[in-house]
Amino acid sequence: MTQLNAARAPLDSRAKMIEFHEVHKYYGDYHALRGISATIREGEFFSLLGPSGCGKTTLLRTIAGFEDISSGAVLIDGKDMSDVAPNKRPTNMVFQSYAIFPHLTVGENVGFGLRRDPRSKAEKAKAVEEALEMVGLKGYGARAAHALSGGQRQRVALARALILKPKVLLLDEPLSALDKKIREQMQVELIKLQREVGITFVLVTHDQEEALVMSDRIAVMFEGEIAQLADPETLYRRPNSRRVADFIGVMNFLPAQILGEANGHVQLDVGGLGRFEVTEEQASARASGAEPVVGFRPETLTILYEGQQAHDREAPATIDEVVYYGDMTYYDVKLDGVAAPVRISMRNVFGRPVLDVGTRTRVAWSPGALVLFR
Amino acid sequence: MKFSSLKGYAFLYLVFLYAPIVLLPVFAFNSGTIIAFPLKGFTLDWFRDLFANQTLGLALKNSLIIAVSTSILSTTLGVFAARAGTRFKFPGKPGVMGLIMLPLVLPEIIIASSLLVVLLAVGMPLSLFTVILGHTLMATPYAIAVLNAAFSSLDRSLEEAAYDLGETKWSTFRLIILPLVTPGIISSALMSFTISLDEFIVAFSLAGKETTLPIYIFSQLRFPKQIPMIMALGTCLVVASIVLLATAEYFRRRGLAKTGAKDTGGFL
Repeated sequence: MTQLNAARAPLDSRAKMIEFHEVHKYYGDYHALRGISATIREGEFFSLLGPSGCGKTTLLRTIAGFEDISSGAVLIDGKDMSDVAPNKRPTNMVFQSYAIFPHLTVGENVGFGLRRDPRSKAEKAKAVEEALEMVGLKGYGARAAHALSGGQRQRVALARALILKPKVLLLDEPLSALDKKIREQMQVELIKLQREVGITFVLVTHDQEEALVMSDRIAVMFEGEIAQLADPETLYRRPNSRRVADFIGVMNFLPAQILGEANGHVQLDVGGLGRFEVTEEQASARASGAEPVVGFRPETLTILYEGQQAHDREAPATIDEVVYYGDMTYYDVKLDGVAAPVRISMRNVFGRPVLDVGTRTRVAWSPGALVLFR
Repeated sequence: MKFSSLKGYAFLYLVFLYAPIVLLPVFAFNSGTIIAFPLKGFTLDWFRDLFANQTLGLALKNSLIIAVSTSILSTTLGVFAARAGTRFKFPGKPGVMGLIMLPLVLPEIIIASSLLVVLLAVGMPLSLFTVILGHTLMATPYAIAVLNAAFSSLDRSLEEAAYDLGETKWSTFRLIILPLVTPGIISSALMSFTISLDEFIVAFSLAGKETTLPIYIFSQLRFPKQIPMIMALGTCLVVASIVLLATAEYFRRRGLAKTGAKDTGGFL
C-alpha cells in the first residue's frame, strides 16, 4: 500500500504510461465503455474496481489489444495503439484462468515468450530460471504445468508474463480463484514484486478490499464509466457518491435535512444525531433529485461504556443485534428516533465485555467523520 | 437381487451384440464349407485362400486408399469447421452449421443417387476419386461432431496468452491449439476411416468399374463356397479394428496424462 511505496517518486511527477482518451466500446447496441478518460503513470499499481459487467475487464483488454475500441484512443508510453496487434504491444497479461499451457512443462511455459528471442539456449534457460526464482518457484522448471496448485499456477503465469520485461503488466482478477489465506499472501507478494520490477501494474478486481490493499490508485467503475478515480484512502474516506460509498466497504446512511449553507459549511439536521454542520469538503457534488443523506463508516462510531466520555458528541441508542467475529464485534444499534439500525464495529479489547442485545447505551460520534451525499 | 432383471437384460444385450462376431473366427477356422454346427475340424485353408485372392487384394487396396483419403480430408475440413463454429461468430452461422451437419440424417441412398446425378451432369468419370468425394461428404459431419467437443473444451485465454506473448495467430494455432486437440483429431480420423471402410451404398454407386472391400464381400455372398473365406476376412477385420482402437486409446490416455485433463470418455 502507500507505506510500501512511500520511498518512490510522487505519481504526478512520473511519466504517463497509459492514457485513455474518450474511449467508447459498443457490442452491437450495448454500450460497454462510455467515454473513459484516465491516465496511468509509470510504475503505478493501478486497479480497475467494479461489479461484474461494469466494463473493467473490457477496459483492461483494450490495453492488451484483445478488444478493439469503437472510438477514442488508447496510448501506451505515448504511442497510439490503434494499429498495434496484441503480440506487438509492450504489455503482457496474467489471465483469470492463468491460461497455463497444459501440454508444456513449467519451464517451457515461462520461456514461451522467448521463442523469438535471438539469445542462445543457455541464456534463455538462465532467464527462465531467474524468472522462476523471482516468483518463488526455483527448481520447478521440469515439472508438468498441469500438476501445480492454484497458487503455483498463478506464479507461473506471473513469471511467464514478466520474463518479456513488458512496460505494463495486466492482471485480470488474478487472485479470485485462490482461497482466502493464499490470496492474502499473494496480495503482499504482488505488491513486493511490483516494487521490485518497477513496472506499471494494472489490476482488474471486483474485490474492494484487494483493491484497497494493493493499489496506488483505484478507478471505481459502474456501467462503463469511471465513477471515481482516487487513492485508496480518499476513496474510503471521501467517496464522491453514495454508490461508490456503498461499493467500498460498509457505510451507514441516515437521511439528512439541509438547513443552510454558509462560509464553506453546510448546516444539517439528522434524525438521531441532531443539528450540526459539516465542511464543504465533506460534501459530495450536488446530484439533482437525490435525497440528501449523511454516511459514516462503522469504525467512526464508538459505543461508550459506563464512565466513558465522548471526545466530541454522543447520541443515545439501543443495541439491536450483535455479530461476534473474534477480534471484532459488529453491533447494529438503533439511535433514538431512527427506525433503521446503523452498524458499528468495535475492536474487542481484553476485559471489555461484549454487550447484549437490548442494552441501552451511548454512541460517540464526530461530525468531521461524516460524508454528506446530496 | 434388486438389479437382477437389469443385469439379465444387459447380459442378453451383450450376447445379441457380440455372438455373431464371436462366430466369425469360429467358422473361419472350421474345415467344413457349410456355415453350420457341428464343427468339422481345424483348418487355415480359408486364410490361405484369402491371402492368395488377387481381386480381394485389389479391393482392399482400393478401400484403404479411399478410407485414408476420406479420413484426412474430412478431418481437415472438420478442423476448419469446428474451429470456426466454436471460436467465431459470423452471419448465418446456425444455418451454415446446420447444412454441414445435414448428411448425418440424410439416407445414404439419397446422397448416393443425388451425387451420381451431379457427377454425371458435370461429366466427371466415376473412379476411386468420386468415392472419396462421397465418403468425405458423409464422414465430415461426424468429424465435426467429434472435433467440436475437442475445440469447445479449449480455454480461449490459452490462445490469447500465446498471442499476448508474441506469437502470431498461425504459430499460436500450431504451438498451442493443435497439440491440445490432437486426441480429438485422432478420434476424428479413426471414425472417418471406419465410416469410409465399411460404406457400401455410396461406394457401389460411385465406384464405376472399381471394386472396394464391401462391394467385393457383397458380390461373394452369392457363392456359398466363398463364405468361409469371407468369415476369415471378417476375423482379420475384427482383429485389425481392435488393434486400431487399442492403439488410439493408448495415445488418447497418454495425451490426457500429459496435459492433466479430465477423462471424459474414450473409445474403450
